[in-house]
Amino acid sequence: MKQSIELEVKHLDFFYNGDVHALKGISLPIYKNNVTALIGPSGCGKTTLLRCFNRMHDLYPKHRYGGEIVFEGRNILSDGEDLIKLRSRIGMVFQKPTPFPMTITENIAYGLKLKGVRHRTELAERIERALKHAALWDEVKDKLHAGAYELSGGQQQRLVIARALAVEPDILLFDEPTSALDPISTAKIEELIVNLKKDVTIIIVTHNMQQAARVSDMTGFLYMGELIEYGTTEKIFTSPDKKQTDDYITGRFG
Amino acid sequence: MNREKKRKMEGVIALALSTLAAAVGLFWLVFILGDVLVHGIGALHPNLFLNDPVPAGIEGGGLRNAFVGQLLITAYATLIGVPIGVLGGTFLAEYARRTRFARVISVLADIIVSVPSIVIGTFIYALLVRPIGHFSGWAGAVALSLIMVPVVLRTTEDMLSMVPWTLREAAFALGAPYYKVIIQVVYRGAATGILTGVLLSIARVAGETAPLMFTSFNNNFFSWDMNGPVASLTVTIFQYAMGPYESWHAQAWAASFVITLFILMLTILGRLILKWRFKR
Repeated sequence: MKQSIELEVKHLDFFYNGDVHALKGISLPIYKNNVTALIGPSGCGKTTLLRCFNRMHDLYPKHRYGGEIVFEGRNILSDGEDLIKLRSRIGMVFQKPTPFPMTITENIAYGLKLKGVRHRTELAERIERALKHAALWDEVKDKLHAGAYELSGGQQQRLVIARALAVEPDILLFDEPTSALDPISTAKIEELIVNLKKDVTIIIVTHNMQQAARVSDMTGFLYMGELIEYGTTEKIFTSPDKKQTDDYITGRFG
Repeated sequence: MNREKKRKMEGVIALALSTLAAAVGLFWLVFILGDVLVHGIGALHPNLFLNDPVPAGIEGGGLRNAFVGQLLITAYATLIGVPIGVLGGTFLAEYARRTRFARVISVLADIIVSVPSIVIGTFIYALLVRPIGHFSGWAGAVALSLIMVPVVLRTTEDMLSMVPWTLREAAFALGAPYYKVIIQVVYRGAATGILTGVLLSIARVAGETAPLMFTSFNNNFFSWDMNGPVASLTVTIFQYAMGPYESWHAQAWAASFVITLFILMLTILGRLILKWRFKR
């Protein structure tokens, strides 16, 4: 279900610590309202690639980008890019749930307040909408002012997704969002991801190939910092062009 | 003697020695606290809090000036020392994280914590008393705040470092600038720990005598004036305990009791907050 292109990666290079060449000449289009999965063995660069999209690497010294990532007609890797604005457009959900040490409501209000939403009724309205959007509302509607750490791991992860959704981003990045969760919570998150794609473009890093096959429309296979193959999930998992992809998919290495 | 027997013997000896050491330590501790309690409670009297000192031999004198002075100096020391300590700790744990500079400052702070407080007192004497020409409450507050700064700084640094880094990344990922991440997320996560550190640092300086003798000195009269000498409980205890009069000794006991109780309560409060934090 390709449509228009939301994000275009062009000849992307990335270096850690000045000279560790982690991503090598990666080019791929990310399609709007698709779920794009990035798969590959540990250390292949899939998380590194994901963290380029919201410039998370900029938090650490001695990194260097090469090439371009084009979003809305401009290269978001350029020096003049407003990272604060960029990150409110491209949200991120991490491997381990990261609720803030606040109440459920405050957690979701956090991003909204950063965006300048101050009006109480508007806040309440958008918090409710975000929680419903993340399929968490029914479970927490009676304890909105409870501490976020009282929720279970799976609920915390959905809370974090709700927090990211509240600011109405265009793209959501998921970095192995279910690797710390039990199977039931995982199923709920996967279902949620599929439901969310009508509103946001999703890029998900996963080491779980079944998960990639279940939730994604497009899949990219990375190995040793290179994009080996990129195509529809159906094609990658049934008749990949490259032997390396086939070997990884069928579990011969990785 | 076979090995098993030998090991058992060693165990018994180690147990006996450490029990003895604990008993000796505890004996003196309980003795001191008990002595302060017995003598202190006996000497407690409303006059102690309501009246200022009177010349020896006249009945009804108190230490109101010293109580107020102590609170004044401690409060100002807290107001000066805590912000510097918290901000310094924030700098080390956040902006200078994992740099050689931060490590050097941390070690220096640890060293200053164990510097005898009289050294701090004489330092401030040279800095704020001699050039001005007279003792002052401000000098006392600054001396105490200097003792607080490294304690608060190190606690803040440790508590902030305990907040998982992924929490900061999550806040950055929502588009928060660093100062908002620190104030709104990291401080929230470390608040109880930092508060405990602050309380314990207050408890630490509330019992200091040496730094005050060279700075705020003492004052037999009631005074709010931080620009002049200000009375403090600890220096008063020192003076009264050394003095020749029975009534002075009684008042010194009472003052010792009150200040010990104050420090005990601060410490217990600090512990309770910590316990409450880790229960959550």
